[in-house]
Amino acid sequence: MSVRRTAPTNLLTTTIDKAARWAQSRSMFPATFGLACCAIEMMATGAAHYDLARFGMEVFRASPRQADLMIVAGRVSQKMAPVLRQVYDQMPDPKWVISMGACASTGGMFNNYALVQGVDQVVPVDIYVPGCPPGPQSLMHGILTLHDNIMAGKA
Amino acid sequence: MSGLGAFLRGLRVTGKVMVNTVFGDGLVTTKYPQEFRQKPQRFHGRHVLNRYPDGMEKCIGCELCAGACPARCIYVRGRDNPSDEPVSPGERYGYVYEINMLRCIFCGLCVEACPTEAITMTHLFEISTANRRDAIYTRQELLMRPDGSVPHMFPDDPLAQLAELDTADGWLRATAPSGVAAYEGVQAWQGTPGPASWAPEPTQDERDA
Amino acid sequence: MTDLTREGIKATVGEEMVKVTVDGQEFEAPKGQMLIQAAQNHGTYIPRFCWHPRMRPVGMCRMCLVEMETPKGRVLITACTNPVADGMVIDTKSEVAKKAQEGVLEFLLINHPLDCPVCDRGGECPLQDHTIAYGPGESRFVEEKRHFEKPIKISDLVYLDRERCILCARCTRFSDEVSGDPLIEFLDRGNFTQINTFPDQPFASYFSGNTVQICPVGALTSKAYRFRARPWDLVSIESTCPHCTTGDRITVQASQNEVLRFLGVDAEATNWSWLSDKCRFGFEFIESPDRLTSPMIRQEDGSFTEATWTEALELVASRFTEIRDAGKGLAVLGGARGTNEDAYALAKFAREVLSTNNIDCQLDDGLDPQFLAATADRARISDLDSARTILVWGPDLKEEHPTLYLRVRHAVQEKGARLVLIHPWRNGLDDRATHKLTYRPGSGAALLTRLQSEEGEVATALAEGPLVALLGRTGYGEDGRLAEAVAAHVRSLGGKLLPLARRSNVYGALDMGLAPSLAPGRATTDNPGKNAAQILEGLAEGSILGLLMVGSDPVRDVPNGELARQALEQARFVVALDQFLTDSSRLADVVLPVEGFAEKEGSVTNVEGRVQKVNRVVPGPGQSRPDWSILDDLSDRMGRSINLVSAEAIAKEIATEVPAYVGVTWDMLDAEKDGVVVPLPEATQPLVYLPADTPGKSFSGELVLHYARTMFDDGVLMRHGPSLEHLAPGAVAILNFDDARRLGLSDGDQADIKTSQGSARLTVRIDPSMNHGLVYVPFNQPGIPSLGSDPVVTVTKA
Repeated sequence: MSVRRTAPTNLLTTTIDKAARWAQSRSMFPATFGLACCAIEMMATGAAHYDLARFGMEVFRASPRQADLMIVAGRVSQKMAPVLRQVYDQMPDPKWVISMGACASTGGMFNNYALVQGVDQVVPVDIYVPGCPPGPQSLMHGILTLHDNIMAGKA
Repeated sequence: MSGLGAFLRGLRVTGKVMVNTVFGDGLVTTKYPQEFRQKPQRFHGRHVLNRYPDGMEKCIGCELCAGACPARCIYVRGRDNPSDEPVSPGERYGYVYEINMLRCIFCGLCVEACPTEAITMTHLFEISTANRRDAIYTRQELLMRPDGSVPHMFPDDPLAQLAELDTADGWLRATAPSGVAAYEGVQAWQGTPGPASWAPEPTQDERDA
Repeated sequence: MTDLTREGIKATVGEEMVKVTVDGQEFEAPKGQMLIQAAQNHGTYIPRFCWHPRMRPVGMCRMCLVEMETPKGRVLITACTNPVADGMVIDTKSEVAKKAQEGVLEFLLINHPLDCPVCDRGGECPLQDHTIAYGPGESRFVEEKRHFEKPIKISDLVYLDRERCILCARCTRFSDEVSGDPLIEFLDRGNFTQINTFPDQPFASYFSGNTVQICPVGALTSKAYRFRARPWDLVSIESTCPHCTTGDRITVQASQNEVLRFLGVDAEATNWSWLSDKCRFGFEFIESPDRLTSPMIRQEDGSFTEATWTEALELVASRFTEIRDAGKGLAVLGGARGTNEDAYALAKFAREVLSTNNIDCQLDDGLDPQFLAATADRARISDLDSARTILVWGPDLKEEHPTLYLRVRHAVQEKGARLVLIHPWRNGLDDRATHKLTYRPGSGAALLTRLQSEEGEVATALAEGPLVALLGRTGYGEDGRLAEAVAAHVRSLGGKLLPLARRSNVYGALDMGLAPSLAPGRATTDNPGKNAAQILEGLAEGSILGLLMVGSDPVRDVPNGELARQALEQARFVVALDQFLTDSSRLADVVLPVEGFAEKEGSVTNVEGRVQKVNRVVPGPGQSRPDWSILDDLSDRMGRSINLVSAEAIAKEIATEVPAYVGVTWDMLDAEKDGVVVPLPEATQPLVYLPADTPGKSFSGELVLHYARTMFDDGVLMRHGPSLEHLAPGAVAILNFDDARRLGLSDGDQADIKTSQGSARLTVRIDPSMNHGLVYVPFNQPGIPSLGSDPVVTVTKA
């Protein structure tokens, strides 16, 4: 959701829009949504060696109402899917979702009845990060791609 | 011991690390994307389909990689090699080769299963996409160019790390040379994609000599 | 494993039992049975390559070496060539036996290339499996292997890779013993021994695909399956072959929702794992890009536009209702290629919704439906094996009923039955016939009278039972009533009958009431409607206005194709339920796409009344739907719902409503994979129909036409299969030398062939085996108009 959608296009609003996008991409707060092994890599990404704070997103918020990015880190079981959706619904707009790792993106090697075969069946996903699990650098690549997309108005 | 003493003692550790980080050599952060962490030699990144030095494709479309894949993310279809312009040596070549990187778990079983060392892995692991479709790598993205360079899915992306595609996961030879298990002193693995740098198996005459 | 024997191997030898000990386990086996078979029946698998349960043992590969105790000590014997004897003590796992087996495998692998990754057999290869299970692990052979050009194309369908061959003689024995066309043989000697065809003679057997299935390595591969998939990603589901009436059991194998292969299943009742090439490679139409994917409505200018189901069904319903309510005629043609469930739905739809008895699933090329559906003295296929005399007076079995042909051949060759073969011309069974009689079409009745009255070798042979008669129309000039007259004679001799008809599920369709004179369940209707020929005439002259075609192509399939074309052009409203735009459905006003074989579940009935299951393997293309659901939808829109819910529900309805099918459920068919023969003991058979001795019309002319089918023709399913579409022999007119000379024709000339129903310009071939006064023209060849069922013909040089 950007200013663009609610205001007419002119010099002032486009500049505001750009500023808003810049602000959004520079201070994203991820919600904690570690579901499995990918979460370990997600935690590592926040820690000193990779330091997500450099992108203004060091705080993983425990409350969805204070978060605008959900990193779905790990396999989503059928039972977890409604919970995931509820957390997503509780996040304020604008909000983004990163599907981290093979299981979250497609079910990975667990092609069975228990897992949601791709979290995009439940929530809209902006960035898919391949890997099993993706390393911190891969996740940061995903996050930076998301930032770029936000800045470009594509997300 | 008073609570304050313990508190200060703990803070001293914090302070020491802080001083060391700011003024000493204690900074551990890698400033991605400006700088990279060196990946271990045998790191499993995205795949590449190799060629022989003469430009022939190594892949023979045998589907053993697809059979070995625990995530079933590889789709291969073979076809008769055109006799006038063969794509690979032998009867068959892989005319469809697709890997769904979003299902792939980068376990490397495909590399182990490959009888011709056609599929190996590179070090590139930063391959996020905004679109599921972009995560399906086809022959076009996977197959090494005739000059030996490996194509990137998004070469224009400022975050693209083209250099990592030139580093292989230290792939091993698929079979022992001349079928003999013991081969001390013979190069067993190589760090770049492409044709193997080790000597081909000796012919029977050479072996008998 | 390639031997798809479902329930082990059945004993085919005497009743006397002997005691054998294999690996310490003592059991009884019938005397004379081969040790390898007896051991397998009792749970001990002895490795083998050359031995096949349906062929004579040969002992080529030596893989089945086992140790036997004799008074002189323990010796190695081959289990496939030694019959069990009383008190035999065998060790299959002793050190010596193991070493022998390892040695044999090491020898076999000496010249076997290790190209398993590109070999079609890789993953289902007996040589691979046996090497892992019984092999030495390492080879001492370091010399250069034998090299041949690979692969060579030995026929349009089969490729041969001689490097991979282990010389087991399975293919040579099959083509020699089973199919009777020994076109593949061993060449050269010693280390240079190879399998090959004779120079300039392709492996043009109708059964060549079987050698691909029984080859224990990847030496023989098929064009249709070559490099299409690997065995481990195939989904295999057992089903029944959609091509001929024998009801061959097959395994349909698919990968990624694409049918890629048919394999024969060793079903004791029907095909013994053999399939004809038409059946084995006739799967490609399923994946054809020409399949219809959405309903089509024909425009004024003759072109078709895609429509939604609602549009198409509304149009059909309104036009059919209009014609029906105006009291004008409606008719239904076809339905013999689907399942019993679809046939039942169609019969119900025709009678209850269209209010018509003008229904025919045979296209003027079969026998009387009551004769086909009645079971008076119906033989089982297995009766052939115990028959003393077999009478074949009908179509060339090799061309039209290929697996039945193999069964007859086996009965004559291996079981010593006598074969009386009556046919106008050369026939696939000629080389096995004890008595061969030829006659000109039109004089069959006279021949029958002679057989009935005269004393002679043939009459004596027929009088000696048990007698099984396979009866049908030898060609389209033949009157269908002749077969009935023969049947009456056979009945008087105490013989059993198998009346032959075309199209895979014709017997099931007749049982479901798809005939003018039959109600569902082999019952007679009170007011019979018109048959196919009368329907077409009615359409052409305007007494019938509307036609529903279900999987039928009258323009190409009715002997008098010109009449069919006129009928479809004159008809006011024609609807086709079809998988393809055929020559006939192109003339329809609305074409509705249906699911075909391997896309729907159901049951089918074969020539002996055996009901078997067909199964769904892949989804249908696009918006195609099963027949029953289209008909159900139409019935709702036409205001007389037939209330069908699912194919399984229809099957339940059949099992309760249709007298001859009482008690036949899908559960039963799924458990009993070889099917059940109806009627079951608890069911009734309401139809009593005894063939009458009314041999039909006789005729003669200077030249008469023998107009019969060949295995490969321009049929729609073959036309859409890339492997089979070029195999039709092409249209020729075959004459005797004398007749040709009289007409001033020589081999290769063009001649105009003219009957009262059609004419065509064909190339003349001269064949000394042809009878005087007879012209043979194969039916339904590409690009040739049909000549009709009138056998009197004139031939003039073009």
